[in-house]
Amino acid sequence: MAKDKGDNPYSPLYRKFIWTTLVCSLAPLLLVGWGIHIHYAGFTRDKMLSAFHERVDHHRQVIDLFLEERRSRLQLVAATHSLDALQNQKNLASVLEALNRGDGSYADLGVIDEQGRHLAYVGPHDLMGKNYSQAFWFRPVMERGIFISDMFLGFRKVPHFIIAVSRSEAGKKWILRATINTEAFRSLVEQVKFGKTGEIFLLNEEGLYQTTPRFGGHIMEKAPFSVDVPFGTTRIREWKSGKGGNGLGMDHQILAEEWLEEPRWMLVVRQDYAETFQAVNHANWAILIFLHISALTLLLASFVTTRYMVNLIKKRDGEADRLNRQLQQAGKLASVGELSAGVAHEINNPLAIILTERQILLDSVGQTPSLDGEFKVQLHESLCQIDAQVHRCKRLTQNLLRFSRRTKSVVESVSINAFLEEVVDLTEREAGSNGIRFQTEMEENLPPILSDPSQLQQVFLNLITNAIDAHEGKPYGSIRIGTRSQDNAGVEVVIADTGCGIRPDHLDKIFDPFFTTKPVGKGTGLGLSICYAIVRRLGGTIAVESEPGSETIFTLFFPLKPPPDLEGRLREQEKQTGGIPDERINLTAGGR
Amino acid sequence: MKGSTLLLVDDEEVFTSNMSKLLTSRGYRVTAVNSGGNAIRALQKSNYDVVVLDLKMPGMDGITTLKEIQKLGLFTETLILTGHGSIDTALDAMRLGAYDYLTKPCEIDELVEKIEGAWKQKDREEQRDMQKKIQKVVESPSAAFSLFGKGKGKKK
Repeated sequence: MAKDKGDNPYSPLYRKFIWTTLVCSLAPLLLVGWGIHIHYAGFTRDKMLSAFHERVDHHRQVIDLFLEERRSRLQLVAATHSLDALQNQKNLASVLEALNRGDGSYADLGVIDEQGRHLAYVGPHDLMGKNYSQAFWFRPVMERGIFISDMFLGFRKVPHFIIAVSRSEAGKKWILRATINTEAFRSLVEQVKFGKTGEIFLLNEEGLYQTTPRFGGHIMEKAPFSVDVPFGTTRIREWKSGKGGNGLGMDHQILAEEWLEEPRWMLVVRQDYAETFQAVNHANWAILIFLHISALTLLLASFVTTRYMVNLIKKRDGEADRLNRQLQQAGKLASVGELSAGVAHEINNPLAIILTERQILLDSVGQTPSLDGEFKVQLHESLCQIDAQVHRCKRLTQNLLRFSRRTKSVVESVSINAFLEEVVDLTEREAGSNGIRFQTEMEENLPPILSDPSQLQQVFLNLITNAIDAHEGKPYGSIRIGTRSQDNAGVEVVIADTGCGIRPDHLDKIFDPFFTTKPVGKGTGLGLSICYAIVRRLGGTIAVESEPGSETIFTLFFPLKPPPDLEGRLREQEKQTGGIPDERINLTAGGR
Repeated sequence: MKGSTLLLVDDEEVFTSNMSKLLTSRGYRVTAVNSGGNAIRALQKSNYDVVVLDLKMPGMDGITTLKEIQKLGLFTETLILTGHGSIDTALDAMRLGAYDYLTKPCEIDELVEKIEGAWKQKDREEQRDMQKKIQKVVESPSAAFSLFGKGKGKKK
């Protein structure tokens, strides 16, 4: 099988077609796919980053606003209340209550004098009497008038941050200090959800968490990445961790950083890179699937169209080969035809002279009674032999002439079945004496064909005579004659014999003029050539298959109507023979 | 018919000479010529019952010769004897008025048979022509002169 494939002359063409169609179709597809991917991925990435940026910025504004509001409220209280009023515990409690109305974002409120002593305090812890003069926030607030601290533990030992404002009153400075409700603040920051993997937290300038991140880490712990000096805008960057990142296996994250106005905390939003760009990935997958499906479709289409095209070419090549062979055969026959008319004349004239000489001798012998008896017998035998050989030559020239000229054709309706039966009748005696039986398989209701019966007879007689001759040396055999209708286009005739068969190397020569395998003097090698020429002239085809030593099958096809040129020629002949009685021409032509 | 006059026209001199011998021995009066031109001249000089004409000859070929013979309007039948064997040409010849054709080589008996047929045809035509003339004389006695005029040709 592999050998067959290798031997197939169309395999290289097939491969070339496949490659060409694949390259021509896949290359543009891949280019377009790649272009779409690049463009769409860039576009989607920009959109994603822009949305990410907006969310981060929005969140930063919310936190800034929260802190700004808490600070403003505190400044307002400090500005509108005197130290005396606030030193009163009851008043201070009222102020805290008023401040917490609505959201409860202040955990406690205290008033501290310029020595750092706690003058008044309202809140959950016992901080009265504590001195804050050494606290890290005391000096800045005294100097700047306002201070928001980082998260610290302080006296209460829980992470919290304070907002403190100072005011000068009658030459004395005092501080109003509020602790922001850490839970409220943390929930404001931490509870914002960024998908499944997003987290949001705040870092101070030392890189300490000011809120607890969603995944890993804790408030006031050191973050695993460095913090740059404060910058103005939102910065978005990719961040890769070699150690599994935040513990969720996210080693590739997208990181947005933005500094708050006051305090100097950096808002950090980070999300798994894949989740951020999920839409891009989906689009990439969709493009990839589309490309694969398109490529597969093209592959399939390429195979199917290539197979179809190659089969078409194979079929056309086959037809061209067949036509070429027919043309070669016709060429051979035409050249023999042209030659034969001239040769026949050149041979027939000497033959005519030989015959007249023989007749003269014959006449002379008859008129000379004194001739020696034995000589007379010998002479007679020789003259008979001359006659026989002249007639043999005449048969040859007549056969030759059948190529070059058309005997008078008479087109009439012929029932092939009845016609073949007549031909079988004619040859049955000869076949029977050679031990050959005829088997006929005629299709009933075969349509009649318009053809030339005398030429058909010659074809069938030639083929059947050959079939009989093919049994030489065999004690018995059979000749099968079959007919069948061919799709209303014509009639197929099969003449098969069980004779000696034809060698494969002879098969393509058997229609060649003068090709014969019969002994010298037995066949002229023109019979099948004449059959071929006649069948082609009648618009039919003849083909042969053979199994050497066992059988030979001739398959003939005759159209229902003869070719137009034959019909036209006949009509012309009929017009021209108007003056001659038809039976006279038929008798003469048939008599030869 | 013994004593019939035959004109053999063939460029093969051996053939015409042999055929002359054979036909003469069978009672015909044979004249042999080797070209179409000579045949026309011979026909202009004498009457022949049957002309045996070869088709393929150098110079004037058989068909042209036949046409020329037809132009002469003689009571003579032409038999085509051709070695060329082209039935089409022979049929052309018959359309032009040849009696029949034979292909070379042929048996002398076959040729004699065709010659006899041709002679009978020529005889029938002559008689038919004579009857027509007599009929005319009966109808118009002045036409009797034509019976004694140039009587050897067909009336065109």
